[in-house]
Amino acid sequence: MKASYLPPVSHVMSLTIVRRDRTLPFAGTVTARLNERVQAVDVIAEAETAPRHVFLDLARGLGVSPKEAPNFLVRQKGDRVEMGDTIAGPVGVARRTVRAPADGRIVAVDGSRVLFEVRGEPIVLRAGMPAMVVSSDGIQTVTLEATAGLVQGIWGNGRMDFGVMRTLGSGPAARMQTDMLDVNLRGAVLIGGMCDQPAPLHQATELNVRGIVLGSITSDLIPVALRLTYPLVITEGFGSLPMNSAAYGLLTGHVGHDAAVDARPGDRYSYQRPEVIIPLPTSRQADVPDDVIPLAPGVRVRVLRAPFHGAVGTVRDLPLKAADFPSGLLARSAAIEIEGLGNRLIPLANLEVIQ
Amino acid sequence: MDLQTTIDAETLLAVDVGSVHTRASLFDVVDNQYRLVATGRSLSTATTPLLDIGEGVRMALDQIQTVTGRRLLDESEGLIMPSTSEGAGVDVFVATSSAGPRLRAILVGLMPGVSLDSGRRLAEATYLEVVDEIGLSDRRRDEEQIDVILAARPDLILIVGGTDGGANASVLRLVESVALAAGIRPGSPAPRILFAGNRHLGAAIVERFADQASVALAPNVRPGLEGEDLTPARNRLAEVIAEMHAAKVSGFDELRQWSGGTLMLSADAFGRVIRHLSQIYDPRKGVLGVDIGASHTTIAAGFAGDLHLSVRSDLGLGAPLPSLLRYASMESILRWLPTDIPEDVARDYIFNKSLHPATVPMELDELHLEFALARQVLQTALAQARAGWPKRRNGGGTPWLPPMEPILAGGGVLSRAPRPGFAALALLDALQPSGISTLVLDPHSLTPALGAAAAVLPMVTVHVLESGSFVSLGTVVSPVGGGRAGRPVARIKLEREGASPLEGEVRLGQLAVLPLGPGESGKLTIRPEHSFDVGFGARGKAGAMRVTGGAVGLIIDARGRPLSLPKDAARRRELNQKWLYDIGALQ
Repeated sequence: MKASYLPPVSHVMSLTIVRRDRTLPFAGTVTARLNERVQAVDVIAEAETAPRHVFLDLARGLGVSPKEAPNFLVRQKGDRVEMGDTIAGPVGVARRTVRAPADGRIVAVDGSRVLFEVRGEPIVLRAGMPAMVVSSDGIQTVTLEATAGLVQGIWGNGRMDFGVMRTLGSGPAARMQTDMLDVNLRGAVLIGGMCDQPAPLHQATELNVRGIVLGSITSDLIPVALRLTYPLVITEGFGSLPMNSAAYGLLTGHVGHDAAVDARPGDRYSYQRPEVIIPLPTSRQADVPDDVIPLAPGVRVRVLRAPFHGAVGTVRDLPLKAADFPSGLLARSAAIEIEGLGNRLIPLANLEVIQ
Repeated sequence: MDLQTTIDAETLLAVDVGSVHTRASLFDVVDNQYRLVATGRSLSTATTPLLDIGEGVRMALDQIQTVTGRRLLDESEGLIMPSTSEGAGVDVFVATSSAGPRLRAILVGLMPGVSLDSGRRLAEATYLEVVDEIGLSDRRRDEEQIDVILAARPDLILIVGGTDGGANASVLRLVESVALAAGIRPGSPAPRILFAGNRHLGAAIVERFADQASVALAPNVRPGLEGEDLTPARNRLAEVIAEMHAAKVSGFDELRQWSGGTLMLSADAFGRVIRHLSQIYDPRKGVLGVDIGASHTTIAAGFAGDLHLSVRSDLGLGAPLPSLLRYASMESILRWLPTDIPEDVARDYIFNKSLHPATVPMELDELHLEFALARQVLQTALAQARAGWPKRRNGGGTPWLPPMEPILAGGGVLSRAPRPGFAALALLDALQPSGISTLVLDPHSLTPALGAAAAVLPMVTVHVLESGSFVSLGTVVSPVGGGRAGRPVARIKLEREGASPLEGEVRLGQLAVLPLGPGESGKLTIRPEHSFDVGFGARGKAGAMRVTGGAVGLIIDARGRPLSLPKDAARRRELNQKWLYDIGALQ
């Protein structure tokens, strides 16, 4: 008989091999070399983003018929030009020309029109963590590998940075307050419990923090979080949920270490998840994380929904008979020994494996 | 329906791969009728870490094997087909799917109100999210349109326009911008192109895109001046979407191979059943199907064989749940609750549910919240779907539904309701049916399977719909009218065989359930007050009819149309709770 239930898996690992793709939004140039050791701030690829396009009307510019116009082109599709460079012409005694309106590239010639791509702002892709370059497609994607501690979150605001970890408050349930933020935390990655007001998040911006990792924020703070300039990763969800004990223990156990905070939003159809990567010395043996872990007695799990949302426990039994709950629902369940609460029946659908 | 055709005994296995669950259903012939034998359900494995639907399919099939003892898979985990003399395997396999990443589309067409509207209806009937539209009357310059396409990074560009043999220069001019945009970004995946316009331009379109993008040609959505014909284009679009999903998630090819090359989109299969029912039932009424899933909400309305299908990828009880707040306020969601749940708690719940779509409520308050959200999602999806229904079938745009018979409902939240009254009241609140209807629940999510099976074994659809696999919640009488709460609405009399008649008056605001169980029937006589219409053709018109019972009973929903809830929050919660007790959801 096959494994009957494959729950989602979240990684909270003190030592593992982390292999991550870093990808430009558009094709560009990969600057990192294979087997090169890179630091978090190193640029590993470059591209131009958000270019604007304009049509240049050759016939009108040169004062010739649309049919004749292409004959006067002096640049070809794909050519890069600088502002003022001649693209077509000169024509006639007035020596009329069509010139590049800005630095850019000729991307298409459509009859007597030239489609001109105005050069966009350069963007750079940084490594985000100290790692080895293990593969690259040369134009868009670089694969990095590092030995590290790993804590995966559930939601992130899309930013990425790197810094030294510091704790914020007195435990995994501590509510983030402005008076917790002082100059000693400047430039740090902050580990805390939860946040239910915008002021501390704004104040952290002024301290130039490199990232914040929390158990939860209230959902009304999502628009605020999305505007922050630093990465914010939450591990449990929205509301007033303490960080789970496994993640909090691992993160606070490495206070003073550097950590990469990658707050990319999760995507169920790619391997992207928000996460905190703590680079560690490579002298110790480490394994690649398991992506698939069937639910079985002894497996460590986290509860994903009330009333024990965020609680970590161990599977003790998987009864075949469905259990009924106060909601009236009947559901296949697992008996979970929850730290500090004893054995509880939890629907399988509300569990996630923690490795 | 009385179809006495003798059928060859063929075993049918149907699989529906959803974004959260994969369901398998085994049908076999019992007493010359197709019957549901067993179902299996597993978590879908279309997402990470597996990105392969095969594992979820096999887990669902394994449950059927365990329950029935019938071996479906061979040693190499391939489907045994046809069935063997030892009773292993199946004769026919059909598959449907709604799983796969959200696909972003740009719609390109000629005229607003004509081809662009047809293209929009085509896109809205399937798993696409239209992020922008470009038309002839677009005020943006050509280069701006190119920038729009590049910024949107669509997965698909749907091009419509021109009748067959009609406009070509205008269509080709529009295509020019698309083709230029498709060829600009080397290294970035080019969007798929689906052309469903003037079919005489097909070759020119393919040539224009050459090696820049893959072009699929579909029959014209408006082949002639007389109107649109979406069905042939819808079939081709479904194939293209399935191909795009298969490019990102493994396992679809195997499912397609098992099903003889046909893998239908679940919404299309769902719509096919509704269309079929609308050809059988009273042509003066419509047939309504609603399916509220984790990632999509499907509304299908059939009017004498004319199907209007609407698929909302931004409305669902899973990942897209926060999108509901674009269309509805928190207040409009909380108004459905029978208990006091603070707004901030409810908002956090919405965002948490989007992170963990497969989770289920353990506590009663969370169940109430889930049903409140289901009501609002359905109401929002229905209101938008109705905008595309024919005017004469739309009840003049009233907040309540035009007459529909039956109303077929599916989706995880409804099918796992702890008592049928929960599902019934949610449907009454969200849809507000009028006149006399039957509420039918699809607890095993069989409708897509039956739609897919209809092409190969048409009798399956007929037999299973008539069997107990679908749960009739009961007949609902919903008088249309309003006024002061407590005023008389109608006198009713229910005569049942072997039981004394039930007779009485219903008053405005009342939700009454008369005992009429599954399989029971009776004669219902209704004498409405002069300002109420119960579906006999006019306000105040009385009549009698045979009605059938259901899991809830015979429901008289005299709460008025439109349904109006008290403004006072405490009074409203009290009333919501009372209605839950009245309909048997709470005991």
